[in-house]
Amino acid sequence: MLSAEDLKQRIEASIPGAQAEVEDYTGGGDHFRATVTAEAFAGRSRIEQHRLVYEIFGEEIGGPIHALSLKTQTPQKTPTP
Amino acid sequence: MPTSEPSAIRDLPMSASQPSTVGEAPVQSGEPNPIREAITQAISEHKVILFMKGTPEAPACGFSARTVAALQALDVPFAAVDILPDPRIRQELSAISNWPTIPQLFANGELVGGCDIVTEMYESGELSEALQ
Repeated sequence: MLSAEDLKQRIEASIPGAQAEVEDYTGGGDHFRATVTAEAFAGRSRIEQHRLVYEIFGEEIGGPIHALSLKTQTPQKTPTP
Repeated sequence: MPTSEPSAIRDLPMSASQPSTVGEAPVQSGEPNPIREAITQAISEHKVILFMKGTPEAPACGFSARTVAALQALDVPFAAVDILPDPRIRQELSAISNWPTIPQLFANGELVGGCDIVTEMYESGELSEALQ
Protein backbone atom coordinates (compact mmCIF):
# COMPACT_ATOMS: atom_id res chain seq x y z
CA MET A 1 0.00 0.00 0.00
CA LEU A 2 1.24 3.44 -0.89
CA SER A 3 1.02 6.55 1.18
CA ALA A 4 0.48 10.13 0.14
CA GLU A 5 3.96 10.83 1.51
CA ASP A 6 5.47 8.15 -0.80
CA LEU A 7 3.89 9.80 -3.81
CA LYS A 8 4.94 13.27 -2.70
CA GLN A 9 8.56 12.18 -2.29
CA ARG A 10 8.67 10.41 -5.63
CA ILE A 11 7.16 13.36 -7.48
CA GLU A 12 9.52 15.83 -5.83
CA ALA A 13 12.51 13.55 -6.47
CA SER A 14 11.61 13.06 -10.12
CA ILE A 15 10.71 16.57 -11.22
CA PRO A 16 13.46 19.03 -10.37
CA GLY A 17 12.23 21.82 -8.11
CA ALA A 18 8.73 20.38 -7.84
CA GLN A 19 6.57 20.85 -4.79
CA ALA A 20 3.79 18.33 -4.38
CA GLU A 21 0.82 18.20 -2.08
CA VAL A 22 -0.69 14.74 -2.10
CA GLU A 23 -3.83 13.58 -0.39
CA ASP A 24 -5.05 10.01 0.04
CA TYR A 25 -8.66 11.00 -0.28
CA THR A 26 -10.24 7.67 0.55
CA GLY A 27 -7.66 6.64 3.15
CA GLY A 28 -7.31 3.34 1.32
CA GLY A 29 -3.81 3.89 -0.06
CA ASP A 30 -4.93 3.72 -3.68
CA HIS A 31 -6.85 6.89 -4.57
CA PHE A 32 -4.79 10.04 -4.52
CA ARG A 33 -5.16 13.68 -5.38
CA ALA A 34 -2.04 15.70 -6.06
CA THR A 35 -1.28 19.33 -6.70
CA VAL A 36 2.15 19.70 -8.23
CA THR A 37 3.90 23.03 -8.63
CA ALA A 38 7.02 23.06 -10.76
CA GLU A 39 8.94 25.45 -12.94
CA ALA A 40 9.48 22.45 -15.25
CA PHE A 41 5.84 22.77 -16.33
CA ALA A 42 6.42 26.18 -17.88
CA GLY A 43 5.78 26.21 -21.59
CA ARG A 44 4.13 22.80 -21.58
CA SER A 45 0.50 22.03 -22.27
CA ARG A 46 -1.66 20.63 -19.48
CA ILE A 47 -1.49 17.22 -21.12
CA GLU A 48 2.30 17.31 -21.17
CA GLN A 49 2.38 18.49 -17.56
CA HIS A 50 0.17 15.62 -16.42
CA ARG A 51 2.19 13.14 -18.49
CA LEU A 52 5.35 14.23 -16.68
CA VAL A 53 3.73 13.22 -13.41
CA TYR A 54 2.05 10.06 -14.69
CA GLU A 55 5.34 8.86 -16.19
CA ILE A 56 6.88 8.73 -12.72
CA PHE A 57 4.47 5.97 -11.78
CA GLY A 58 4.19 4.10 -15.08
CA GLU A 59 2.33 0.84 -14.74
CA GLU A 60 1.49 1.55 -11.12
CA ILE A 61 -1.31 3.76 -12.39
CA GLY A 62 -4.20 1.43 -13.01
CA GLY A 63 -2.42 -1.05 -10.73
CA PRO A 64 -1.76 -0.19 -7.08
CA ILE A 65 -2.64 3.43 -7.79
CA HIS A 66 -6.29 3.21 -8.83
CA ALA A 67 -6.67 6.93 -9.25
CA LEU A 68 -4.31 9.87 -9.30
CA SER A 69 -6.18 13.10 -9.74
CA LEU A 70 -3.83 15.89 -10.79
CA LYS A 71 -3.61 19.61 -10.73
CA THR A 72 -0.40 20.99 -12.14
CA GLN A 73 0.82 24.56 -12.09
CA THR A 74 3.92 26.68 -12.38
CA PRO A 75 5.09 28.69 -9.38
CA GLN A 76 3.38 32.05 -8.91
CA LYS A 77 5.76 34.73 -9.97
CA THR A 78 5.94 37.68 -7.62
CA PRO A 79 5.54 40.71 -9.84
CA THR A 80 8.62 42.84 -9.86
CA PRO A 81 7.87 46.32 -8.58
CA MET B 1 -32.42 15.61 -25.74
CA PRO B 2 -29.76 12.97 -26.26
CA THR B 3 -26.28 14.44 -26.18
CA SER B 4 -24.47 11.18 -26.65
CA GLU B 5 -23.98 9.18 -29.77
CA PRO B 6 -23.25 5.64 -28.65
CA SER B 7 -22.80 4.38 -32.18
CA ALA B 8 -19.04 4.38 -31.70
CA ILE B 9 -19.45 1.39 -29.46
CA ARG B 10 -20.61 -0.56 -32.51
CA ASP B 11 -17.40 0.28 -34.33
CA LEU B 12 -15.29 -1.54 -31.82
CA PRO B 13 -15.00 -5.29 -32.09
CA MET B 14 -16.15 -5.91 -28.60
CA SER B 15 -19.08 -8.00 -27.73
CA ALA B 16 -20.49 -9.71 -24.70
CA SER B 17 -21.00 -12.72 -26.92
CA GLN B 18 -17.24 -13.31 -27.18
CA PRO B 19 -16.15 -13.59 -23.57
CA SER B 20 -13.47 -16.12 -24.49
CA THR B 21 -11.34 -13.36 -25.99
CA VAL B 22 -11.17 -11.39 -22.75
CA GLY B 23 -7.82 -11.51 -21.03
CA GLU B 24 -5.80 -12.78 -23.96
CA ALA B 25 -2.20 -11.74 -24.24
CA PRO B 26 -1.73 -8.39 -25.97
CA VAL B 27 -1.29 -8.54 -29.71
CA GLN B 28 2.36 -8.29 -30.66
CA SER B 29 3.35 -5.12 -32.46
CA GLY B 30 3.75 -5.56 -36.18
CA GLU B 31 0.82 -7.93 -36.39
CA PRO B 32 -2.70 -6.89 -37.31
CA ASN B 33 -4.32 -5.26 -34.33
CA PRO B 34 -8.04 -4.87 -34.97
CA ILE B 35 -8.79 -3.27 -31.61
CA ARG B 36 -6.15 -0.61 -32.05
CA GLU B 37 -7.34 0.04 -35.59
CA ALA B 38 -10.95 0.31 -34.46
CA ILE B 39 -10.00 2.79 -31.73
CA THR B 40 -7.95 4.89 -34.14
CA GLN B 41 -10.81 4.86 -36.60
CA ALA B 42 -13.37 5.81 -33.96
CA ILE B 43 -11.19 8.74 -32.86
CA SER B 44 -10.85 9.97 -36.43
CA GLU B 45 -14.51 9.51 -37.30
CA HIS B 46 -16.02 11.31 -34.32
CA LYS B 47 -15.43 14.99 -33.73
CA VAL B 48 -15.83 14.51 -29.99
CA ILE B 49 -15.41 11.06 -28.49
CA LEU B 50 -15.15 9.99 -24.88
CA PHE B 51 -13.61 6.71 -23.74
CA MET B 52 -15.11 6.02 -20.35
CA LYS B 53 -16.06 3.44 -17.79
CA GLY B 54 -19.74 2.69 -18.27
CA THR B 55 -22.05 4.72 -20.44
CA PRO B 56 -23.12 8.39 -20.37
CA GLU B 57 -26.45 7.21 -18.96
CA ALA B 58 -24.82 4.95 -16.38
CA PRO B 59 -21.20 5.93 -15.72
CA ALA B 60 -19.32 3.27 -13.75
CA CYS B 61 -16.79 5.64 -12.20
CA GLY B 62 -16.94 9.09 -10.64
CA PHE B 63 -14.28 10.49 -12.97
CA SER B 64 -16.17 9.33 -16.03
CA ALA B 65 -19.40 10.72 -14.57
CA ARG B 66 -17.82 14.12 -13.99
CA THR B 67 -16.45 14.26 -17.53
CA VAL B 68 -19.83 13.32 -19.01
CA ALA B 69 -21.45 16.02 -16.85
CA ALA B 70 -19.10 18.69 -18.23
CA LEU B 71 -19.90 17.67 -21.81
CA GLN B 72 -23.62 17.56 -21.12
CA ALA B 73 -23.50 20.96 -19.42
CA LEU B 74 -22.10 22.38 -22.66
CA ASP B 75 -24.70 20.49 -24.66
CA VAL B 76 -21.95 19.09 -26.88
CA PRO B 77 -22.84 15.98 -28.87
CA PHE B 78 -20.27 13.26 -28.27
CA ALA B 79 -19.66 9.63 -29.03
CA ALA B 80 -18.93 7.38 -26.08
CA VAL B 81 -17.07 4.10 -25.81
CA ASP B 82 -17.32 1.94 -22.72
CA ILE B 83 -13.85 0.49 -22.12
CA LEU B 84 -14.95 -1.99 -19.47
CA PRO B 85 -16.23 -4.92 -21.58
CA ASP B 86 -12.74 -5.83 -22.84
CA PRO B 87 -9.48 -4.94 -21.01
CA ARG B 88 -7.68 -4.75 -24.34
CA ILE B 89 -9.57 -1.57 -25.23
CA ARG B 90 -7.99 0.32 -22.35
CA GLN B 91 -4.61 -1.23 -23.06
CA GLU B 92 -4.62 -0.24 -26.72
CA LEU B 93 -6.17 3.16 -26.05
CA SER B 94 -3.46 4.06 -23.54
CA ALA B 95 -0.79 2.85 -25.95
CA ILE B 96 -2.21 5.13 -28.66
CA SER B 97 -2.73 8.17 -26.47
CA ASN B 98 0.22 7.80 -24.08
CA TRP B 99 -2.26 8.51 -21.30
CA PRO B 100 -2.70 6.01 -18.50
CA THR B 101 -6.08 6.80 -17.03
CA ILE B 102 -9.75 6.68 -17.99
CA PRO B 103 -11.72 8.71 -19.03
CA GLN B 104 -10.04 10.14 -22.10
CA LEU B 105 -11.68 12.82 -24.19
CA PHE B 106 -10.67 13.36 -27.80
CA ALA B 107 -11.73 16.22 -30.06
CA ASN B 108 -10.79 16.56 -33.71
CA GLY B 109 -8.53 13.53 -33.40
CA GLU B 110 -6.51 14.94 -30.50
CA LEU B 111 -6.48 14.02 -26.83
CA VAL B 112 -8.04 16.87 -24.87
CA GLY B 113 -7.40 15.26 -21.50
CA GLY B 114 -8.75 13.20 -18.68
CA CYS B 115 -11.23 14.14 -16.00
CA ASP B 116 -8.98 16.68 -14.26
CA ILE B 117 -8.08 18.60 -17.40
CA VAL B 118 -11.61 18.49 -18.82
CA THR B 119 -13.03 19.73 -15.52
CA GLU B 120 -10.44 22.50 -15.30
CA MET B 121 -11.13 23.54 -18.89
CA TYR B 122 -14.87 23.47 -18.27
CA GLU B 123 -14.52 25.70 -15.23
CA SER B 124 -12.24 28.16 -17.03
CA GLY B 125 -14.50 28.25 -20.09
CA GLU B 126 -11.84 26.78 -22.40
CA LEU B 127 -13.61 23.50 -22.99
CA SER B 128 -16.26 24.63 -25.43
CA GLU B 129 -13.61 26.25 -27.58
CA ALA B 130 -11.46 23.11 -27.52
CA LEU B 131 -14.42 21.08 -28.74
CA GLN B 132 -15.21 23.35 -31.70
